[in-house]
Amino acid sequence: MTMLSRVADRLFWTARYLERAEDTARLTDAYTHMMMDIPKESAPGWDILVKILAAEPAYESNYRTYNEQNVLKFLIADLDNAGSVCHAVKAARENVRTTRDVLPQEAWELVNELYLYTQEFAEQSIGRRNRYQFLEEVIGRCREINGLLVSTLSRDHTYRFLQIGRLLERADMTTRIIDVGAAALLGEDRQPSLHKGTVDPLIWASLLRSLSAVGAYRREYGPSVEAKCMVDFVFRDANLPRSVKYCLNDIRTELLPLKNNKPALKLVDQARRSLSRFDPQTSSREELHRFIDKFQLKLMHLNATIDEQWLFQNNDD
Amino acid sequence: MSGSWKTYNPGTHYDELITTAKKPRTLAKHLVKLMQGLTTEEVSARRAAADLTIREMGVSFTVYSEGHNIDRAWPFDIIPRVISAREWRKVKQGLIQRSRALNLFIDDIYNRQKILADGLLPADIVLDSPNYKPQCKGISPRYKTWAHICGSDLVRNADGKFYVLEDNLRVPSGVSYMLENREITKRVLPELFENYSILPVSDYPSHLHSTLASLSPREQNRPSIVVLTPGIYNSAYFEHAFLAQSMGAELVEGSDLFVDEDDCVYMRTVDGPQRVDVIYRRIDDDYLDPEVFNESSKLGVPGIMRAWKAKNVAIANAPGAGIADDKVIYAYVPEMIRYYLKEKPLIASVETYLCLEEKNREYVLANLDKLVVKPANESGGYGLMVGPHASKAKRAEFAKLIEADPRNYIAQPTLSLSTAPTYIDDKVEPRHLDLRPFILQGKDAWVTPGGLTRVAMQKGSLVVNSSQGGGSKDTWIVEDSQ
Repeated sequence: MTMLSRVADRLFWTARYLERAEDTARLTDAYTHMMMDIPKESAPGWDILVKILAAEPAYESNYRTYNEQNVLKFLIADLDNAGSVCHAVKAARENVRTTRDVLPQEAWELVNELYLYTQEFAEQSIGRRNRYQFLEEVIGRCREINGLLVSTLSRDHTYRFLQIGRLLERADMTTRIIDVGAAALLGEDRQPSLHKGTVDPLIWASLLRSLSAVGAYRREYGPSVEAKCMVDFVFRDANLPRSVKYCLNDIRTELLPLKNNKPALKLVDQARRSLSRFDPQTSSREELHRFIDKFQLKLMHLNATIDEQWLFQNNDD
Repeated sequence: MSGSWKTYNPGTHYDELITTAKKPRTLAKHLVKLMQGLTTEEVSARRAAADLTIREMGVSFTVYSEGHNIDRAWPFDIIPRVISAREWRKVKQGLIQRSRALNLFIDDIYNRQKILADGLLPADIVLDSPNYKPQCKGISPRYKTWAHICGSDLVRNADGKFYVLEDNLRVPSGVSYMLENREITKRVLPELFENYSILPVSDYPSHLHSTLASLSPREQNRPSIVVLTPGIYNSAYFEHAFLAQSMGAELVEGSDLFVDEDDCVYMRTVDGPQRVDVIYRRIDDDYLDPEVFNESSKLGVPGIMRAWKAKNVAIANAPGAGIADDKVIYAYVPEMIRYYLKEKPLIASVETYLCLEEKNREYVLANLDKLVVKPANESGGYGLMVGPHASKAKRAEFAKLIEADPRNYIAQPTLSLSTAPTYIDDKVEPRHLDLRPFILQGKDAWVTPGGLTRVAMQKGSLVVNSSQGGGSKDTWIVEDSQ
């Protein structure tokens, strides 16, 4: 079957943006819940959410302080922030708009409805009162769109480039979610706290919840959430669909039927090796944080290679 | 609600559903009875359901003046327009005849120019037209067909007869709205379909596909067909995507295609270059090939004309087909039918005064308050003056325009466009409408049963173009034996 490079590019970004909208919603939701569980004096700051998404420059050009109201506006409704729920949904819609011909008809309708929903409700959902309902709705609608695609699309190039985009974004977001934990607790290490030891599991449990992985974790490791086990689990469990390892394995599967896939496969395999060599059980939080930084660079490199090989439009070939 | 159906008064115009005796026409009986039986609340609920369907389907229409990428839902009136199948069969024959003659004319103009030699129309009218493309000289596409997709605008005058108002042979749009309008009616007024046998329109994409496939230069089971769009910011982008999807064709932009040294057209795919057989282009001639036409065009494909001339690719509609789309040349179509086909025109044209002829010009200038004046080469209702509705200043402005450039203006009597009951707020009021059927011409000819009915939503207005705030209705061709 025929797949235009331009269409492949838009599918890839459709999936990335939809996944970004969902994951940002999940992260924001889980973080809000966590903040309500932790006593005020021990609570990590709201700035962590911005730092994790590497969005400080964009944030600081528009906001002076890192308070809850500002950070949530930035993450939910700010169209200048490429990582905000609203921006991601809008960008996904623009991409679907121009790839309607290869997607099931309902895909456009659902994405368009999601867009209209975020347009209408984002601003009023920054405060805690409506936030939960809004984020749940966004997550639910993203799930519905993914469900439609997974259950109706032929396993051809259309599906393939959507999958690759989604998995790459998901792997990236999972590493960032772990980084939230590492960063929050790194801060805690520096200033001794009365509540040390009780806060730690709360943070990790909430991050696990943002990955919909609480049940799976309990079956594997028991009811109490331990930092090192949790990191190990969401990095390296081969069966958890949001684990980094799972995402990389699936990217590999989707790359296999593509022509000229050697450079991309090589990068995926490198990333997989570095993941299996990293041992969360023996690493300090500093080491974890540094590993995540490096790992994110690998994912960026992989993205660039995919772009160049299949998505980029070379006018001279 | 029933009250305003009772007081409904189309005046002296022909009304599509209601007779001058204020009774529903035979075929409209069930329809009017059902609509009359609905309470105001029920009507509102159904109109709301239609609006919701439109919104969800993403039916949108970008109007150039609003800048890029602003969606506007296309206004839809839920009351369908009903036309008898017996009447429609005659219209259909007339349209096919017209399309055959127009195609033979285009083929003649770019080749032997027999019609000019025989003096049936002045050569300078044709050769000085901006729609005449000398770059197409000497080409004769398959089946001598240039305009494979033609959208002709019909109006029904006070005498109840259909007239062809103009032929759109370049990149006519609107067919997707015809298809979606039917889908909306099925959702909103499902009970009506029990009482009527309505000719389906949903097979348009498959007829379009076989028309395009019949043009392929290579003998292949599945020729590679693409729809070439200027992109997302074009007002008809939605339609381009819709047609590509329903034909299973690729929707491409200029940058997706390139012409290689073998003079064949290829598209860039994730598997490498792939040969293209037929291009259904939805961009104007001037932007098609920067090597031949407008060199600053970023929308087109450099070298595509070379590939077309070498018959390595078919282009629909063919470049240069717009020569028969000129409103001055329109005046000669009945002559062409007699000349090329030796037949009598089966469907009427509107009497047309060419301003470049002195006698006509004098008549037009003296009767500006009675006539519709149109520029010869604008579409979409731009730059048009409806005399009886125009201010004195506007008429003076047009008088100047005509005197400055008579070749560029034609005038026609103000037709009494037919009306149909249309919901305006909560009331049923008569609104003027036209009809755009689509004629396909490849190996075989085919006409849409009905077409797109456009409605002038402003009271008394005769301008139905969507770019000028028009709306639309579902159009039913209904078998008479019921």
